[in-house]
Amino acid sequence: MSGPHNKSAAEGSAQGSVPGADTQWPRWEVLKKDNERKPHQAVGSVHAADAEHALLMARTVFARRPAAVSMWVAPATRIHTFTAEELTRLPAATDADTGPLGRYLVVVKSTNRRSMTFGDLKGEVEAASVSAALALALELAGDEPVLALWLIETDSVIRSEPDDADPWFGPAQDKTYKQQSVYSSRATASKDAAEGVPG
Amino acid sequence: MTAADLKPEVRAALVERLTALADDELVLGHRDAEWTGHAPILEEDIAIANVAQDEIGHAVLWYGLVQELTGADPDHLAFFRDAREFRSAALVEQPRGDWAFTMLRQYLFDTYEAELLPRLMRSTYTPISEVAAKVNREELFHLRHSALWVERLAFGTDESRRRLQAAVNDLWPLMPQLLAALPGDALLAAEGIYPDTAELAGAVMPRLEGELARLELSLPATDAQGGADAAVAAGTRSERGDGLLAALLADMQSVARADPTAESW
Repeated sequence: MSGPHNKSAAEGSAQGSVPGADTQWPRWEVLKKDNERKPHQAVGSVHAADAEHALLMARTVFARRPAAVSMWVAPATRIHTFTAEELTRLPAATDADTGPLGRYLVVVKSTNRRSMTFGDLKGEVEAASVSAALALALELAGDEPVLALWLIETDSVIRSEPDDADPWFGPAQDKTYKQQSVYSSRATASKDAAEGVPG
Repeated sequence: MTAADLKPEVRAALVERLTALADDELVLGHRDAEWTGHAPILEEDIAIANVAQDEIGHAVLWYGLVQELTGADPDHLAFFRDAREFRSAALVEQPRGDWAFTMLRQYLFDTYEAELLPRLMRSTYTPISEVAAKVNREELFHLRHSALWVERLAFGTDESRRRLQAAVNDLWPLMPQLLAALPGDALLAAEGIYPDTAELAGAVMPRLEGELARLELSLPATDAQGGADAAVAAGTRSERGDGLLAALLADMQSVARADPTAESW
């Protein structure tokens, strides 16, 4: 992309011409609920042009084969994130926090032992500021370790509809998810044959 | 109704129609799969690969119904028939083009299936109604995805709109052939096995015309006089001689034909 014939960053109007600029579409965080007994869990992110697109990409990337009953997405710009370290040095909420009331979904990461999910939805709080919401969120977390905490502005969340569940998540129930190692290859065929495994 | 209940002439007509259904899915799936590794963003690369895999999976289901009637192996039907034996429509055979072309083609096909599959779910031939129910569920998601893209390309930028309109100009004339009756379809309609093709076209075309008008796209003529290829407009599903399918099959079938006895690779 660089060269004497390219426009300089100052001349270029396109985002992509600025060195190091993020040319991706906006990032959205994805929350997936595996079944009725589990909470919504943060599973990863997608880039997408808009909210509906993000929801379809979330289904495509995270629930084509794995089980799900519901998916939510929220724009990363509307999620307030805190690490455990940041939580130890935050100023306490004060009476100055008296903006209009807003609702926040609370997601807490309480263990490092999971690879497929980042945190669990713990509930929702209503507060007049982010710092006031944070205090309520920490109460919600109770005695669990808080390795990271998200406050997701509730009005930014886009959710799959109950009618979407069958076409979006139904096919996964009938199909076996197989790792690639299940399939025989030249490398494994001779070993399978030696062990009497049918090809 | 099951295979044992079919009169011989109805059975022959059914094999032809099921082959056309399967071939459309297989060829479209292959065209979609040509995007793997080349789609505009990673998420859409996964999405189009998923769609491709679904369409090929649907082909396997329809070929399976052919197998119940003729004993033909689905892998053999896919990889060891020549172009003249295929019954795919010109719409699905077109090279993948740009993203607008692929998304519009998918949208046209998904909308056709959104009308076809609920009718097939009411088929008097039980194997068809069962397969249609499975296929329909996945197609609802395909249509949501392709419709999303067509709408965004229509109202995105001047360039996206120009590309989408160009795709409409190329693909719209191919719709009548997709919807045209095969020679044996009247027999199937009389038995309630397959819907009346004129009634189906009468549902698909106004639905698409309405949607594309809402997106402020202009539609070229679809009849032979309007400039579309005459054989396509006449509804012929074979012997078109444009070479597109033969080239696609040369690619798609090459691995299977390199060693027909191979069991693993």
